[in-house]
Amino acid sequence: MAEIKLTAAPVLGTNLSIGTNTIQERDDLALVSIATPLDQDQDSQADLARALSAGWGLDLPAPTRASSAGDAHAIQTTADQMLLIFPHEGPDGNAVVQSKLDGAGYTTEQTDVWLVLEIAGPETLAALERLCPMDLRGVPDGTATRTVMEHMGALVLRHSAERFWLLTASSSAGSFLHAVEQSYRNVT
Amino acid sequence: MIIPHPLLGPRDAAEFVYLGDASLIARPDGLAPDAIDQFHSYTYLRDNPAGVHRELWYHEQGDRSWLVVTRNTLTHEILSAELARDVARAEGRSR
Amino acid sequence: MTQNSAQPGSKPQPNRLSHNGLIDQSRSLNFTWNGTQYQGHPGDTLASALLANGQRFVARSFKYHRPRGIFSAGPEEPSALVQLRSGAAQEPNTRATVAELFDGLTATSQNHRGSLEGDILALNDWLAPFLSAGFYYKTFMWPAAFWEKVYEPFIRASAGLGKLSMQADPDIYDHGYLHCDLLVIGAGPAGLIAALEAGRAGARVILADEDFRPGGRLNAETHAIDDAPGHAWATRAIAELASLDNVRLMTRTTVYGAFDHGVYGALERCTDHLPTSGGKPRQVLWRLYTKRALLCAGATERSIAFANNDRPGIMLAGAVRTYANRYGVTPGTRVAVLTNNDDGWRTAQDLQSAGVTVTALIDTRSGVSPPKNADRIETGCAVANTRGRRGLGQISLTNGAVIDADCLAVAGGWSPNVHLSSHQRGRPTWRDDIAAFVPGSELPQGMSVAGAANGTPTLAAAMAEAQTTTRALLQDLGHSATGADLPRASDEPASISAFWHVKAKGRAWVDLQNDVTAKDIYQSQKEAFRSVELLKRYTTLGMATDQGKTANVLGLAILAEAAGQTIPETGTTIFRPPYTPVPIGALAGRARGKDFRPYRLTPSHKWAEENGATFVETGPWMRAQWFARPGETGWRDSVDREVRMTRNSVGICDVTTLGKIDIQGRDAAEFLNHVYANGFAKLPVGKVRYGIMLREDGICYDDGTTARLSETHFVMTTTTVNAVAVFRNLEFARQCLWPDLDVHLISTTDGWAQYAVAGPNARALLSKVVDDLDLSNEAFPFMACTECTVFGGTPARLFRISFSGELAYEIAVPTRFGDSMIRALMEVGKEFDVTPYGTEALGVMRIEKGHFAGNELTGQTTAAMLGLGGMVSKKKDSIGLPLSQRSEMIRDDDLRLVGFHPVDKGIDLNAGAHFLTKGDPEDMAHDQGWMTSVAWSPELGHSIGLGFLKNGQNRMGETLRAFDPVRGKDTAVTVVSPHHIDPEGARQRG
Repeated sequence: MAEIKLTAAPVLGTNLSIGTNTIQERDDLALVSIATPLDQDQDSQADLARALSAGWGLDLPAPTRASSAGDAHAIQTTADQMLLIFPHEGPDGNAVVQSKLDGAGYTTEQTDVWLVLEIAGPETLAALERLCPMDLRGVPDGTATRTVMEHMGALVLRHSAERFWLLTASSSAGSFLHAVEQSYRNVT
Repeated sequence: MIIPHPLLGPRDAAEFVYLGDASLIARPDGLAPDAIDQFHSYTYLRDNPAGVHRELWYHEQGDRSWLVVTRNTLTHEILSAELARDVARAEGRSR
Repeated sequence: MTQNSAQPGSKPQPNRLSHNGLIDQSRSLNFTWNGTQYQGHPGDTLASALLANGQRFVARSFKYHRPRGIFSAGPEEPSALVQLRSGAAQEPNTRATVAELFDGLTATSQNHRGSLEGDILALNDWLAPFLSAGFYYKTFMWPAAFWEKVYEPFIRASAGLGKLSMQADPDIYDHGYLHCDLLVIGAGPAGLIAALEAGRAGARVILADEDFRPGGRLNAETHAIDDAPGHAWATRAIAELASLDNVRLMTRTTVYGAFDHGVYGALERCTDHLPTSGGKPRQVLWRLYTKRALLCAGATERSIAFANNDRPGIMLAGAVRTYANRYGVTPGTRVAVLTNNDDGWRTAQDLQSAGVTVTALIDTRSGVSPPKNADRIETGCAVANTRGRRGLGQISLTNGAVIDADCLAVAGGWSPNVHLSSHQRGRPTWRDDIAAFVPGSELPQGMSVAGAANGTPTLAAAMAEAQTTTRALLQDLGHSATGADLPRASDEPASISAFWHVKAKGRAWVDLQNDVTAKDIYQSQKEAFRSVELLKRYTTLGMATDQGKTANVLGLAILAEAAGQTIPETGTTIFRPPYTPVPIGALAGRARGKDFRPYRLTPSHKWAEENGATFVETGPWMRAQWFARPGETGWRDSVDREVRMTRNSVGICDVTTLGKIDIQGRDAAEFLNHVYANGFAKLPVGKVRYGIMLREDGICYDDGTTARLSETHFVMTTTTVNAVAVFRNLEFARQCLWPDLDVHLISTTDGWAQYAVAGPNARALLSKVVDDLDLSNEAFPFMACTECTVFGGTPARLFRISFSGELAYEIAVPTRFGDSMIRALMEVGKEFDVTPYGTEALGVMRIEKGHFAGNELTGQTTAAMLGLGGMVSKKKDSIGLPLSQRSEMIRDDDLRLVGFHPVDKGIDLNAGAHFLTKGDPEDMAHDQGWMTSVAWSPELGHSIGLGFLKNGQNRMGETLRAFDPVRGKDTAVTVVSPHHIDPEGARQRG
């Protein structure tokens, strides 16, 4: 028997255009959650800040505000947890983060939990108005928050008024993409 | 309704799951000799005020915070929203 | 003067005023009304086009089927309800007064049997003495047996107005969300001023107006602003607003409800004015999040009650003006005006200057001097009765005069549109000086009111109030107004002297939509239905699509008159959303058919589709239920085969859907001790333990396994259906109960493709999969776990756990490899004749093995009932421990999970059957428990069951009745161990 190797597949492999807008899956990223250990002296927080800065040039994120450096982003997802997103191929994103944190946080591999859609184009805000209850028009670039769209949890990151990342559960990715696509079709 | 999340600002109540009376934070000691009596009260007996009520809401489609929301059940006016973890600690809960 | 439209090829429009109106008379639009083709112009509504073509009689009334015409020119219309379009797109009960005309529009009248003119049900009008208020409460009382067979079918046949197409709606609908600092509701003069003020100040503004042409009454009146026609000023204002990025102008958009904390609902009609929606949403239901809202919704005119005041041709005076000024249509050629206020005078004035004959101006007030804009002026009197067949011909006055008129314009005073101000239970208050209700002091949070909606009906005053109010709101919001001057306008005379009801012989109609007369209101008062709320329910006043917009205040005034009270003493009804009807399709939005809810797919979904899987919904998940092979004739063939092949060799099942929660922290073990009823603190690294979770009331609600990957790292699994609830409860325990434990949670359910590999050849198969791992029983025993790699380096997790009772493992790889993994597992499994199995085979095997599942976890199930009472540790405090130890919940003779075999092995058992001891009566007092799960066991060759039986653990071998009256079955069963196969667990440990 020929030797079998497993092959990685993107969640959807989406790459489509609606008018002058685009919807594209970003499968060139690793996502790792980092939880801050509970302690009284705040050492963990400082250790984590140093590791983020050294590893990816990132500050600690604030609630609803991503910390960004190039395509690397840290988004605060809960009061004591963040999601680190950085360009990386391969299923070992967690190992990469662990090696750089050196115990400064509890990490969990999240890459395959999520679908990352990059949506861009002039009708993007109009499409999001059909989908997202959050105010994404009147907020600054770098706004990042988790909310619900068409009954599905989703994390939104605003890069600019015409470019967003939408992160959603990979198992319901098909339904989510359909909702995003329909939103664009309804406004273009 | 709009819940004024202490970390995230105003958020639509549709993102939250409602639990009930914030007295659920005051869980008795399960190993106490009279634990069954205490837990009977804790689990089944609640005030149901027409007016100001402290209640637990979970930001399930947001940052997964449990909040203690003080709300007037007659007008839906929200008087405050706090992180339940802070409330629990203030009430003496620890580990 | 009234003229025919002179366009070549078009039919004359007898009531079109060729020099009036804000319509494009250079272009014609064809439309069909009851099968006849007519023409109108861009800018027309269906109502204005019908009137232009001399169509006065357009509807039959709800109850008595009386001829009715067009009463108003706006959303308040009670009478002119029509059906638009045809086929699947047919829409009943649409107000002709707000239906925009487009080329090719098809409309029909409704609520008649036979033609509109020859409606058989007009007979009801002769039966009116028997059909008065409350008739159905009195008439259909006896004999009781008549209700279902006679009365209800009769009522159902007569009720309703238009007809549903009974076909699926061909259009699509959407929802949306908008945010603003200030929502301005209504783009009349007050709303435009407010939006200009706020827009110029830089605030984020939404200006919403239900009309297709913003401007409100400025489009309907001849007021001047800055020495130009009011509508021209409105057009300039709209152009300026459209140029501001921070202003969103939404026409054809009705703000229909004011909800908590500044949330408003709005319905935008995107394509109703077009022949087809072109694949785009027909309507969008918006949720508006606002910091402040200014209600500038204007006012609605009301009628006066006098005998036979419902004939086609009798209209609101303001509406007559709207038709003349905005639409270039006169509703009649000899128009009379009845008024109790100065505003009614304008109708006579505007019509006369358009060249229409005004036969009389009748003012109910004495001592007033109306301008001489009519052939005759009568003051201090009113209309006593009217005559005319299928439309007005003549009116007679209380002073005996008889006057010819084919249209009577009635001005009963204006009621501010307070509706949204009372959606949060605010009660409007009465103002005698304007004879109207105005918004009360308790407004929805963040709402202010200005202009006619606030009881400030005249132009200059309304604009000034809008400016002042907006400036105060801007200051609240931290914006400063630019200080621009108000445009020049004046205040028209608006004095009113309340006048409601001409008491005379004949039926005086109050609510045209529900056929409620003044007499009905008197009768309600006499029969002690004296509160306004009771009046409404008893007479149906103010119900249905128009919600009494033109009728409520008049009805209340007549109730006050009947009771000998003032109006404030009598009360008022408040309003609920929606302001105007919202189609169900718009409320549903996209949630139709397969888009009703999201679906979650497992990583092997595509592969399963290729391999004959039938899928089943388990919550949002689509799971393979079984995999049919050629030649199999039904699901049982496939399921039996999957079970046999798994138990004989090896089978593979996608178990990705089970909830997976990553739990980390110094105190993670202690945390697990609190949330599981059994102990976890001493679980060694590299081991898995089964656990049960209780609710605080001691009831078992979930179970699963948790693996320890390191001192501080656990991976918990939950059942598929409870994954969300368990996670929520864990967060509650972490944040609210034990807030200082160092423990952190995150879901990894979607991150891992997890496959159960079960059967005697599971080890042999997996040894071809995992890299460099000793799978021998000694090295990797039952309940072991490890991180490893598969197929030459792909990261994986391996757990030796078994739900089937066989030697079994669960192997997990990152989801991206899930599709590749199932194909690879099937490839290497070929030599073992591996089979995929679905949830049915999974269910059969767990029943054979005696594992409980959702059927057994009823929300009343204790650990003791499951035979797991001993697992509940009393040495540590865990959720549910105290109340699980209540004496009634741990008694030995309570229900216990046991197994059942049919005595006659050829009989299939049924879940839901109740157990009875032989000889006992068939009643609940003798109930011994019930069957929870059944399956046909391929291994045993007969049907088997699990169920709860009182004192079951001590009744092995006893024969009982499984009594199932629902299915008419009564089966003798033998009590056996729930572990139908391999009770010692030798296979899974082997």
